[in-house]
Amino acid sequence: MNLSRSRTLRLAGTLAAGSFAIWLSYQLSPGDRSLYTLMGLYAIVAIGLSLLIGFAGQISLGQGAFYALGAYTAGILTVGLDPDDRLVSEAGIDPALAVVAAPILTGLVAAVIGVPLLRLRGHYLAFATLALHLILLAAIFAQSGFTGGQDPGLAVIEPLEIFGLQITGVTGGTARHTAIVWGLVLVTLLVALNLVGSRAGRALQAIATSERTAAAAGINVSAYKLRLFVLSAGLAGLAGALYAFMLQFLSPDAFGVFLSIQFVVMVAVGGLGSVYGAVVGAVAITWLEHELRELGARPSLLGFDLPDQAPQVFSVGVFAVILIVVILFFPRGLLPALGDGIRRLRPVRHEN
Amino acid sequence: MKEFLQLVVVGVSTGSAYALVGIGMVLIFRTTGIVNFAQGSFAVLGGLFMVALVDDIHGLVAGLAAVLVVAFIGSLVGFVAVGFRHRTTPLASLIITLGIALLITSLNLLAFGDRPHTYPTIFDRAWDIGGVLVQPQYVLVAGVTLLAALLLTLGLQRTIAGQALVACADSRRAAELVGIDVRAVAVVAFAVSAGLSALGWVLLTPVDPVNYDSDVRIAINGFAAAAFGGLASIRLAYVGGLVLGVAQQLVVGYADKIPGLGQQARQYELAAALVIMLVLIGWRARNEVHE
Repeated sequence: MNLSRSRTLRLAGTLAAGSFAIWLSYQLSPGDRSLYTLMGLYAIVAIGLSLLIGFAGQISLGQGAFYALGAYTAGILTVGLDPDDRLVSEAGIDPALAVVAAPILTGLVAAVIGVPLLRLRGHYLAFATLALHLILLAAIFAQSGFTGGQDPGLAVIEPLEIFGLQITGVTGGTARHTAIVWGLVLVTLLVALNLVGSRAGRALQAIATSERTAAAAGINVSAYKLRLFVLSAGLAGLAGALYAFMLQFLSPDAFGVFLSIQFVVMVAVGGLGSVYGAVVGAVAITWLEHELRELGARPSLLGFDLPDQAPQVFSVGVFAVILIVVILFFPRGLLPALGDGIRRLRPVRHEN
Repeated sequence: MKEFLQLVVVGVSTGSAYALVGIGMVLIFRTTGIVNFAQGSFAVLGGLFMVALVDDIHGLVAGLAAVLVVAFIGSLVGFVAVGFRHRTTPLASLIITLGIALLITSLNLLAFGDRPHTYPTIFDRAWDIGGVLVQPQYVLVAGVTLLAALLLTLGLQRTIAGQALVACADSRRAAELVGIDVRAVAVVAFAVSAGLSALGWVLLTPVDPVNYDSDVRIAINGFAAAAFGGLASIRLAYVGGLVLGVAQQLVVGYADKIPGLGQQARQYELAAALVIMLVLIGWRARNEVHE
């Protein structure tokens, strides 16, 4: 009785917060909105990664690769597969279809490479996923005829329309696009919460504790790990596809290795395996990165002249320090640690 | 045949430098259980310090100074990476060293900019051995690497500090029981490994320019070399580095010949290296299952 009541309360709270997040999409100025959209996109990726690291105990340093794959799949399907036909309009498929196809294709790729990859454990998997990201980047650079490469890049100017409603216009994402992104964050959150509470969620928790024990208890370890790997890749692919239509321009510069590490920072800050934490981590880290870049872009700071590389140095350096401090002193995540601190401050209440 | 030998010569020298990074990773992993991602950053730091110093002082002194400074930085990294109050798991330590690598990368970008750096080799011409062009610098890298690996093995067997490291590698708990301070061991292991990595790139930089963000590539290749021996054997890590270096050169060298691929093959150099590494560690993981 008590349990189901707290669950209902939590669900109501989540729905209310989600509605607020969607409502906020229409209230922000266009400048703030693009940052807000990015927060939502990263939140979708972070939820998937948090499940993968926190529940299946699989550290992926290549989540940015799936994000990039989703973005390029959606972009290339929209502008047309054949580079020579791209100048002719309508060479590709309907953008809305491309957005649906991108996460499915990304998930399929993850399913194929996941089979050999997930046989690796711990350190090996971390390095292998990082290698995966680098291989994809190399392929994007090398096949520049197909992907546009770094120069001229890939312009995805076709506006995204769903059932006649315009989602992105000539100038990029509209408020409607932002609202859809945050709506999807809410959906992802609910799906993830449902998964955590289900039989599959308990099986995954068992795997995170000990693969051997889980296998002994009759859990099909590799099947569960693969499914979660595919789910998290699909979520990253979906976010990437929506990103392609927000920016309307893709270049490998936007998908560096640092992106993958940034996703890990978001999850580490929010708490491994905490679904809400992943959203908060994504929002906080995206905001912080934006602020640090602005700070670094100033000509001088505290009397020192700042070099051209300052925005990059600031954001990378600060994230590095955050990562080190959080893992060293708050291994369960900054957010759960904060919660513990508040609970400790509160007077102890005896429950009957 | 000449072309094959030429590629092997280049491969052995870059492979030797990867081997040094891999040996460092093995040393740290065996003694502390940590896979050190910052190993690549130590190599980059070694190369960059050398470039900065070599104009002002004698090359030998500059190289020695670069190696010692990086070894000192390595000892600091080791002190932090072990974690505090036994709460830090080995995988958490990997993430910590990843953070440290990022920090070093950003500081390198600030200090050295985003251009590749190199310095002129002291040898004025290459040797021509039966039509195969051999840069003396390649021989220097390969020779010094072999010497360093041998000295390390000897040091582990013959010195007290080396014995402590070996004891820690055998059983950390038992080592603690006989009074060996695990943190002190980590500091020593990190310092030695950092020095080795730096040494590799102090020597390799004239033939392979180093950039502030070369660390990821070096760390991944070093890990692959170490993974060749299951992160457990210094000898196999050395072999792994050489195999990796030669295999990469051969793939890149001969991919040019495949019609239709031509010019694009060069751009796949890193990708080829990574695929080789994935196959290597996949093969290794399979062996572990059977053991």
